[in-house]
Amino acid sequence: MIHAVELYHDYIASGRIKLKEKIKVPTTLQDPCNVIRSGGLAEKNQKLAEMLSEDFRPMEYQGNYNFCCGGGGGAIPMGPEMKPYRVKCGKIKAEQIKATGAKLVFVPCHNCIDAIRDLNKEYDLGIKAVHFKEVIAHNMVIPEHMLPANNQDKEE
Amino acid sequence: MSKQVDTKALADFLKPRLNARFKTWLKICANCALCADTCHFYLAHERNPEMIPAYKVRFISEILKGKAEINEAYLRKMYETLYYECNMCRRCALFCPFGIDIGIMVALQRAMLHNVADIRPAGLLSAIESYKQFGNQMSLTSEDWVDTLEWTLEELEDYYQNLEIPIDKKDADILYTVNAREPKFYPQDLQEAAIIFNAVGESWTVPSVEGWDDTNLAMFCGDLGTSKMLVEKTFRQAEQLNTKKVAITE
Repeated sequence: MIHAVELYHDYIASGRIKLKEKIKVPTTLQDPCNVIRSGGLAEKNQKLAEMLSEDFRPMEYQGNYNFCCGGGGGAIPMGPEMKPYRVKCGKIKAEQIKATGAKLVFVPCHNCIDAIRDLNKEYDLGIKAVHFKEVIAHNMVIPEHMLPANNQDKEE
Repeated sequence: MSKQVDTKALADFLKPRLNARFKTWLKICANCALCADTCHFYLAHERNPEMIPAYKVRFISEILKGKAEINEAYLRKMYETLYYECNMCRRCALFCPFGIDIGIMVALQRAMLHNVADIRPAGLLSAIESYKQFGNQMSLTSEDWVDTLEWTLEELEDYYQNLEIPIDKKDADILYTVNAREPKFYPQDLQEAAIIFNAVGESWTVPSVEGWDDTNLAMFCGDLGTSKMLVEKTFRQAEQLNTKKVAITE
């Protein structure tokens, strides 16, 4: 069993992925309970965020002791029934994000990302919440053989 | 809202499941309330003492001691506490001087509600029904899944060459599994993973028939039968395709 966070971390750390550029705006990072507290990937999660960012700003309690976003334990698939409760308890996460001044939040979990996008609207955080793979796919060096033919022509 | 249940039925569910660890935790909790400030529900509710994690497992003791009067209101209170007031994030366990894991005991109580009183959130029930019928939480057929993989790749044709999502390829290093919300709502997630795996030359594959949805929402209400079935589907594919590892999406 291997989680995508570990795969992506290892690709970049080992040089299998090279980056064209890093994220310039301030970033911070969510620690999903399943991946971090229960999954043991706190260090690699943060290292991955740091490798992708020029200005990474850890939130208070970053890592194993971080707060839940309110989306865990089935709260997201419960849909509208749970939404008011998770948005209310998510105030703590919203305050943590706000305190970092980050404009982009890495969120390596589908439940967390839906929850944090709702918090962004509710608490007016002015952030973009993304999975790691979105940033990696856009900022990595793409090997020659994958570039479109017309692009290669131009370069020749 | 629920079927007829009595204290005995609930206690009978709990007793064989209360192993030494649970019993110790229930006995050793000093009600010191150190867990209070660790809980985002407690903090976000102006430090309402009802939100203190240790208070959320009271139903176990009440039922075992015969102190609970089981009626609609009691079951409703239990449901609201276990679902509206806890994400089972286990943060409180890290701060408890005894390491008492409230999250796991909330899970046990949710399992009791599901298995004995026939109560669980509608959203989780519909996911369970979908898992049983389709093997994934989004009611996608194998054709829907494979079609989505194909058209998401076609959309990238103008931007990338030689992109491939290997389906049912034997002997790959990695069996890649996703959240079923990806093919349903977020196909760009599939595209981004494909770009990354192709760029690094990863030896990977995705299963076409079953086992590709790595979510397990049945677990959240203690439906361990469905939960087990889902995990088995994935590992059966890993065995049949002879992959070295199962990878799960963000």
